[in-house]
Amino acid sequence: MSSLPGTTDAYAVRLRGVTKRFGTHNAVSDFDFEVPRGSIYGLLGPNGSGKTTTIRMIMGILHPDAGSVSLFGSDPDATRRSRVGYLPEERGVYRKMKVLDLLVFLAEIRGIPRREGRLRATAWLERLELGAWAQRRVEDLSKGMQQKVQFVGTVVHEPELLILDEPFSGLDPLNQDELESIVRELNRTGTTILFSTHLMDQAERLCRRVCLISKSRKVLDADLKELKARERTGVVAVEFAGPDGWLRAPEIRHVERVEGALHLVLSDPGAHQAVLRRALAAGAEILRFELVEPRLHEIFVRHVGAGPGAGVGAVVGAAPAIPDRGGPPQGGDSPDRLGSLR
Amino acid sequence: MLRGVWPVIRREYVQRVHSKWFVLATLGGPIFLVATLAVPLWFGGGGGGDGLRGLAIVDGTDVLYERVAPALAAGGFRVEEVRWTSTVVDTLRRRADAGDIAAFLLLDQFTLESGDAVLYTRTPPSPLQAATLRSAVVRAALEIQLEQRGVDVEAMLAEAGLDVQLLAGAPVPPDEVRFMVAYIGAFLLYVVILLYAVSVMRATLEEKTSRIVEIVISAMKPWHLMLGKILGVGAVGLTQMSVWVLTTTLIIYSGLPAMLAPGGAGRGAPGGAGAAESAGSGAAGVGTSEAMGLEALLPGPDLLALFLGFFVFGYFIYSGLYAAVGAMCSTDDEAQQAQLPLIMFLVVPIIFVAHVIENPSAPLSVGLSLFPLFTPILMWARVAGGGVPAWEITLSFGLMLLAILGVAWLAGRIYKAGILMTGKRPSLGELWRWVREA
Repeated sequence: MSSLPGTTDAYAVRLRGVTKRFGTHNAVSDFDFEVPRGSIYGLLGPNGSGKTTTIRMIMGILHPDAGSVSLFGSDPDATRRSRVGYLPEERGVYRKMKVLDLLVFLAEIRGIPRREGRLRATAWLERLELGAWAQRRVEDLSKGMQQKVQFVGTVVHEPELLILDEPFSGLDPLNQDELESIVRELNRTGTTILFSTHLMDQAERLCRRVCLISKSRKVLDADLKELKARERTGVVAVEFAGPDGWLRAPEIRHVERVEGALHLVLSDPGAHQAVLRRALAAGAEILRFELVEPRLHEIFVRHVGAGPGAGVGAVVGAAPAIPDRGGPPQGGDSPDRLGSLR
Repeated sequence: MLRGVWPVIRREYVQRVHSKWFVLATLGGPIFLVATLAVPLWFGGGGGGDGLRGLAIVDGTDVLYERVAPALAAGGFRVEEVRWTSTVVDTLRRRADAGDIAAFLLLDQFTLESGDAVLYTRTPPSPLQAATLRSAVVRAALEIQLEQRGVDVEAMLAEAGLDVQLLAGAPVPPDEVRFMVAYIGAFLLYVVILLYAVSVMRATLEEKTSRIVEIVISAMKPWHLMLGKILGVGAVGLTQMSVWVLTTTLIIYSGLPAMLAPGGAGRGAPGGAGAAESAGSGAAGVGTSEAMGLEALLPGPDLLALFLGFFVFGYFIYSGLYAAVGAMCSTDDEAQQAQLPLIMFLVVPIIFVAHVIENPSAPLSVGLSLFPLFTPILMWARVAGGGVPAWEITLSFGLMLLAILGVAWLAGRIYKAGILMTGKRPSLGELWRWVREA
């Protein structure tokens, strides 16, 4: 899957100066965008910022008024588009069709022979524990199951590029986890993933790179780790025992208690070493000392202004509201740890 | 080039053919059709129509009765000759009042010249009975006139292609069977074209409202999706009609309706005798003089092929237009409204159909039937009614082909723009912009 015949272009998707207008409204303005092969790319932005329009242009459903769109190094023609698995934001099914027939049809219109499509679809349904439903009509399935079927329909032809527009919305957490892990696995085996979302938690869990758009324009486009490092605001989470007088050090502007830990807001983002030295000198036993990385949500809000979570994180910087920490950070994605005592 | 069209056709076809509705309609259709034809025959034997069975005929010419009576007897009338007197009308009127006879028919010298006769009756004759009477009288009058001029009528009638209407001077309406074939056929065409074209519209609308269309469109050209839908639904239509034609033929030839009719198979339908005979002389019928009754209504292979031709071409014209309507609407209600102009194009020919059958060569008939949106119904009516030159039929198919190309171009563009559009239905101006910009 990772070796792509006849395609040497390093980018699965490349947009150059793309502009799309609807009447007088600019949906996308002068947009440059590249999705390297093999990446998991998040296209983030508030509702109405132009994510779906961008994706539709990549899929050749809409045509840009200016600029160029290339898919696998060329125009998004039908042949190239059939190498893409596309899950639109508003996605439907043929409700009266049997589940397996629907999947075979979706594979067939992307050039997969029926017999092959049947095998693959069956395997996918087994994997998602929908095997017993293969011969049932789609309308007999619950909404969650239908969404899983839609997902299978997106990947059944083994696309090189997966474009997911607001995926997993409306799925329960268990199914969401299941599909996320499949997306990760597909990525490991070479599939490029581009997905749009306004759910920052999800983007944080999945993406390696993000592009943030707001009001039709690109605001940020960076590697997620680098972005987070760059956007650190100088907040340190500490847990300690012993004296606490050092908390009144001049480098610490503000202290607040967050879930059993203290969050120290530093006057200067680079002052954490000085603070640590003061604490040790004061004789405190440091159990945890961690630079709190800004959550994507905060970065989003900082750059977009009152974004989708308007009100929640509006005062980032002064007092980093750390919204629900969600689940524990996944895998190795946890913030840089300084270790309890280095 | 048509990559992806085939799966769409197959899906559309298989899904529809597997549906309960299709099975019911396909099997139920012929039964319904035969029933609608057979039931009036059945009840024609009793009830109001029976009043005409006792028919007195006053023949002032002394030559007409011997020819009219056998035809009417074969048509199920019980006839009785009454001598001409100056008070015969009053006498017979009293007998009719007394219930002794049901009706009486006056034939005189004028009948011999013009074919006009007068029927006195307390209960109006059914259309079939009226037609049987008319055709028996006109036929007898014509035969006599022709024989007086030395024409061997029997010999000439045996040969197909004798245009009795032209010799008579005044237009004689096409015989009853042809009229029925043309009329029923025109209605069937109207129904099936509308039925399947609306199916295309509904399917398009459903894909649009269920949002599956964006996924499908991402893998193929909108135009290909539209084409696949039209071909798939069209194939379903042809399948259904083939089943209808086959089973209807089987049912009729099995003699079932005749057995159902009172009096058994031997009696035949009112008007059946004349009908079957004359049908044999034209393109309209496969009926033989033995097989009296419904068989006469079955069109011959040529006409059947033309019928399918009109269906296919008409379907392509209208299904394209209906697909465009489905693509530009977002709800069923909107689509119901937006399709009204299209329905008008199907209804107008139905309004004219009787006129066109009876006046196949009138300039209005020719003009209307050559307008491609009217052609499927009106050209069929003219052809089945008889007497349309081959070049006109060819021309009409050529014009329909042009219309199909035009519709494909127009509808394809509207479809492409509309299929992903949601919200308000576009105005005519917006539609035009879609067509221009697509």
